[in-house]
Amino acid sequence: MSTTLRRKPGKRGHAASEASTVEPRDADGADDTKALPAVAAAENGWFRPSAGGWFARAAAWVLLLWLILAVPANVLSPFDFGVSDINLAIAAVIFAIIGLSLNVLIGYAGQLSLGHQAFVGIGAFASAYVVTNLGLGFWFGVVVAAGFGAVQALALGAVSLRVTGLYFALVSLAYGTFAENSLFAVSEITGGEGGKPADRPAGFAEDQMYYFLCLAFLVLVLWLDWRLTRSKGGRALQALRENPRVAASYGIDVRRYTLLAFVVSGTFAGIGGALMAHHQQIIVPGIFDFQLALIFVVMTVVGGLRNRIGVVIGSAFFAGLGEGGGSEGGGFLERTIGLPAEFTGIVIGPFLLLIVITLLPGGIGQLIGPVKDWMLGKRFDRNAGKLKEVEVSDVRA
Amino acid sequence: MALLHVEGLVVGYGQFPVLHGVDFTVQEGEVCVLLGLNGAGKTTTVSTIAGLLRPQSGRVHFAGRDLGHKSPSARVSAGISLCPEGRRVFPGLTVRQNLKLGAWTRRKSSAVVRDQMSLVLDYFPRLSERSGQLAGTLSGGEQQMLAVGRALMSRPKLLLIDEASLGLSPTVARVVWEVTSRIKADGTTVLMVEQNAGALPFADRALIMEKGTLVYTGVGDEVQQVNLREAYLGA
Repeated sequence: MSTTLRRKPGKRGHAASEASTVEPRDADGADDTKALPAVAAAENGWFRPSAGGWFARAAAWVLLLWLILAVPANVLSPFDFGVSDINLAIAAVIFAIIGLSLNVLIGYAGQLSLGHQAFVGIGAFASAYVVTNLGLGFWFGVVVAAGFGAVQALALGAVSLRVTGLYFALVSLAYGTFAENSLFAVSEITGGEGGKPADRPAGFAEDQMYYFLCLAFLVLVLWLDWRLTRSKGGRALQALRENPRVAASYGIDVRRYTLLAFVVSGTFAGIGGALMAHHQQIIVPGIFDFQLALIFVVMTVVGGLRNRIGVVIGSAFFAGLGEGGGSEGGGFLERTIGLPAEFTGIVIGPFLLLIVITLLPGGIGQLIGPVKDWMLGKRFDRNAGKLKEVEVSDVRA
Repeated sequence: MALLHVEGLVVGYGQFPVLHGVDFTVQEGEVCVLLGLNGAGKTTTVSTIAGLLRPQSGRVHFAGRDLGHKSPSARVSAGISLCPEGRRVFPGLTVRQNLKLGAWTRRKSSAVVRDQMSLVLDYFPRLSERSGQLAGTLSGGEQQMLAVGRALMSRPKLLLIDEASLGLSPTVARVVWEVTSRIKADGTTVLMVEQNAGALPFADRALIMEKGTLVYTGVGDEVQQVNLREAYLGA
């Protein structure tokens, strides 16, 4: 290994690809005393870019911020960002929040949820109920939605402590279907077929303003997610996913941290649901079906598990596929091969999923990894973003 | 004083009993080795002590207290730490993060974590050279050092090491065994599980297991007699 490692010192990502060569060398491990001083320093890839490098990075950042902040507001922009476009942008942001919610569950806790539409839906109707029936404010509605999301996630999380993997996925599927057919059928809660009105808060009634409100929530969720992964709890979750038995033997409370992941995921989903309800202003129960749950899973995995930016981009992309019914983008397949816009996600998704599973385990996050690192001030490295996960070298095999 | 006292331990997986009443004690401040062939019940014994398995009957007393049905995490807090068989480091985490996880029960006190970390890195200088590296990219020997180091991070009174020599060359295994004497000198009692009789010179006392029962308890140099090894290893 020592020779192969010295060949390209400082390259990120090569460590993972080298993992297979590490295993068989147990026997001669003794003579490998020479450390790799270059690796530790260069591991981070920090360096001082040239003036041109700084300029290019700054330009990329300005372009990105312009695209996110200025274009939707029709400020400093040659484009005419219409009603359907801004609706698409709002949906993209809301889907990103939901994607991050599912990322906590699948990516951090390693539990596949096929019933996430129920989490989102219950959040949506909780907030709509608070605002319309109780006459309380939007902000209170969001808090209640987040609370409902957390509580139901806690209940499902309690199940996941006993039933894991594929079986838990089935339980969550059953839970989603149960919510769909029972809770969402109660017209007291959902307003029946006609839906339940959900007014936007004062000052954010306009589409543009609501977009920025959703964006603020996305930033909040991203920050919470970042805090979660950086904290000791995040490390504990990672250890649990890799090996719960060993993690337990070091005193990590498996129960508590699995439930923590569920609660965080449920909270995010509740927030996403509330924003969705007030986005559409009249929320109908029909949209929270199993198909939506599948899209949620696909967009998260295609985006790249455990990769925040990847998940956001993947979710936004699938939001565009589903929501862009009237606009030019989503209507493309409808006009060419006659595929209705609401099915594009479910048709294109599996293809992308196949690509991700076979060729690109890090999803979109892996794809944009080099650019992301470059924008953060590191050297451009086309290997950046590749999955750093390595297999356990279990010699008993 | 006996730090660990195991009394009539009967443990099984499902219907199969693996331990048929095991009794032994480990004195405070010694390095004890539990020897036995494959399937003798060594791992089952230490897993039960660490709380990962529930005994069907029998008791584990630690520092004079019955551990009863205490959870693994409660046992770590009480001072029992297990370095599991097959190393089981967290491959996706760096060496430093692995060590920090080992100090989970002490996480509230960053001073303890820091002290313990420097102590462990002092035991295994190789780890400090690689502290930023992902554990999955370490060699087998380094992973074993990391696993032992991680178990030490909780500042245990009793360190259980399950098959440190598994899959390692004799040279590397010796590095790990040699550290046990330093661990002992720093006040931690060690119970090693081994298949490899090469661990005997590093132990103050040996317990030999066969088919789920303890067949021999030896002290000091007695265990190093060649005839005993033959008796244990069989023909």
